[in-house]
Amino acid sequence: MKKFLTFLVSVLLTLSTYGQDPSEINYSPVNDVSKVGDTLIMKFQYFKKDGNSLTLGQFDFEYNNKLLSYISHESQAPTGASFARNNWTGYKFNPKSNTDEDDMDVQYNWWRNEAGNSSYSTSSDWSVERITVQSSSAYPSDGEFVKYKFKIKDKFGSNYSDYNNIIKVNWANYQESDGTQIQTIKNPSSQSLSGIQGGNAGAVTINLFSKLLDNNVSDGTDYSYVIKNGAGETVSSGDFDASAQASVSGLENDVQYNISVSISDLPEYLGEVVTVSDLALVFAEAIGAGSGPSGNSTTFDYYIQDIIADIVGGDDGVNFQDSYEILAYLQGVTTGNTNYITKAGTVHEYSGIKETYGAYSNNSVTFANTFTAIDSDQSSKTINVAHGLRGDVNFSHSYEPSVSSGEKSTSSQATSQSFRVSMAPGAKYNETETANLDLVSEIVDGKVHFSINSQVEDMIGSQFNIEYNTNVLTLENVIFDTGNEMTNFSNIIEEGKVRVGSFDQNFTQVVKTGTPYKLVFTPNEEIQNTSGLITFRVKEGVKADGTQIKFNIQ
Amino acid sequence: MKKGLLLLVFLIIVGCAKDEDFIQIDPVQEVPESLEIFDLIGIKLESAIVHDRVAMNVKLETSGYYRVKIRHGLNNELISQERIEAKEGDNILKVYVSSLDKSGYLIQLTDDDHNLLGAESFVVQ
Repeated sequence: MKKFLTFLVSVLLTLSTYGQDPSEINYSPVNDVSKVGDTLIMKFQYFKKDGNSLTLGQFDFEYNNKLLSYISHESQAPTGASFARNNWTGYKFNPKSNTDEDDMDVQYNWWRNEAGNSSYSTSSDWSVERITVQSSSAYPSDGEFVKYKFKIKDKFGSNYSDYNNIIKVNWANYQESDGTQIQTIKNPSSQSLSGIQGGNAGAVTINLFSKLLDNNVSDGTDYSYVIKNGAGETVSSGDFDASAQASVSGLENDVQYNISVSISDLPEYLGEVVTVSDLALVFAEAIGAGSGPSGNSTTFDYYIQDIIADIVGGDDGVNFQDSYEILAYLQGVTTGNTNYITKAGTVHEYSGIKETYGAYSNNSVTFANTFTAIDSDQSSKTINVAHGLRGDVNFSHSYEPSVSSGEKSTSSQATSQSFRVSMAPGAKYNETETANLDLVSEIVDGKVHFSINSQVEDMIGSQFNIEYNTNVLTLENVIFDTGNEMTNFSNIIEEGKVRVGSFDQNFTQVVKTGTPYKLVFTPNEEIQNTSGLITFRVKEGVKADGTQIKFNIQ
Repeated sequence: MKKGLLLLVFLIIVGCAKDEDFIQIDPVQEVPESLEIFDLIGIKLESAIVHDRVAMNVKLETSGYYRVKIRHGLNNELISQERIEAKEGDNILKVYVSSLDKSGYLIQLTDDDHNLLGAESFVVQ
């Protein structure tokens, strides 16, 4: 009986011993971190279970040094306790295979007694920290061993796509004062961070959109961009490449930037942006609608045209002042008014995110230009930017809006005057026609005659920008034979460049067929022929319904 | 006296004879080797890389009106055109390029009805 009782007590004691909950080593952030550069404070603490009296606490953990940068540590050991820290960079712990990695005393024993030199292997991404705290009295439950401070590093270029499992306790050696090993587990298995924002956004691609590029008037190298942060500081600037792209670096994720695009170096084609086709559109709007963005009747297709056609400014909508200002510009007449016509040597421009460029809301046209790169969304790192020029009402050198809110309603267009009667309501106004034309130079009686021969009917306006070699030729005369009631213009834009054309602001008279324009030059030297002496750039006409005619020179 | 009469008769005969048409021969136009065209018709520039101006030979089978056209080398857009009255054979002319942008171009010879007779490319530098 005595033996049985002894056996029973022994079994109960054994069960009691093995039934104890293990103590824990807990590790967790003390503070909230949300972005790259934040300081993460980690605490490592003892969590007592079932009456064990810990006097020696030793643990080993590793952190990912590509994502965390050690700043400092601070002992939390009670007064009188001994504290020591060791660290090794470039190592990673190899847990015992086929065991629970959370079982800290098993892993400790593996390291101490079994693994030999297999317990750690070299790994440049990891650093090992080891803390030893020894106290003469029992360590208080929940007592902290140490606090660590780490700086959160940018994962850009680290080969890690997130901040998961960046800190792991490898093993723990908890002992009572008599050397008894205390069963220990870790909690959690590893420490991760989520929602970390910021950091290098990597390469952000900027794509530029304009009809000027589509039509090969120029390539992207004429444009430059400026990116600013919320404080208005420029964080990046540069030029687009020939394919109208720019690759930008140095931006951060989750930071809102704004971008503006502009034409640099004032290229020559600025003098070809505003033409008689734009003039016709503005005149028609002034005649037929007289409306601003909130008007009920319009000949325009887009709200943005109210802005880019308002070349006199004043936000008073499009009116005759705007149309006459453009007519004066084409005629080479100086009005003395301030205007915002894009022309040679002068650019007035808009830019904004392509998808919302020219959107219309709350009675105004918008050019949103902000963007935010998001690390988890690669598409956010491609920014499409649209660009437009003031005065370019037919978008010949500008981006034509694609945002639906930027389009004027069919009903408002349908109520407009005769300018659009031949077109379906809601149809886009910038459709074009082509017509053959003969522009040719020849020597006649010692003079050089440059003739514009046209069989095109129904033109209420036309324009030709002609360039000539001033070393060899002097412009002597421009002969018009356009009919009796057309308003003709010819003016020298600058040396060697002359603009010739006609426009009937009543939209009733048309340019006479035949040779409506002839330029007569006097040679400055003896010449046998004229090849290359006279070139033509802008050559377009406009019909009474506003349709642009593009001439095909044979 | 007899000799004087013979001379007089000779002068009268010569004086009454029908005049022969004078054959006017154009001065021979020197064609530099660099402008020689071996076909019967064609157009050739002295140099493919051009500054300011360059000599050009337009060779024709028949005299008449022709056109010399300059097109942009990328989109083929016509940017300059002249009408010339040219003679049969070689016609040494010039192409003036100082008002052209630095780019590649195509120069074409057509008849007055725009039928292509020859073409050559050049670059303005």
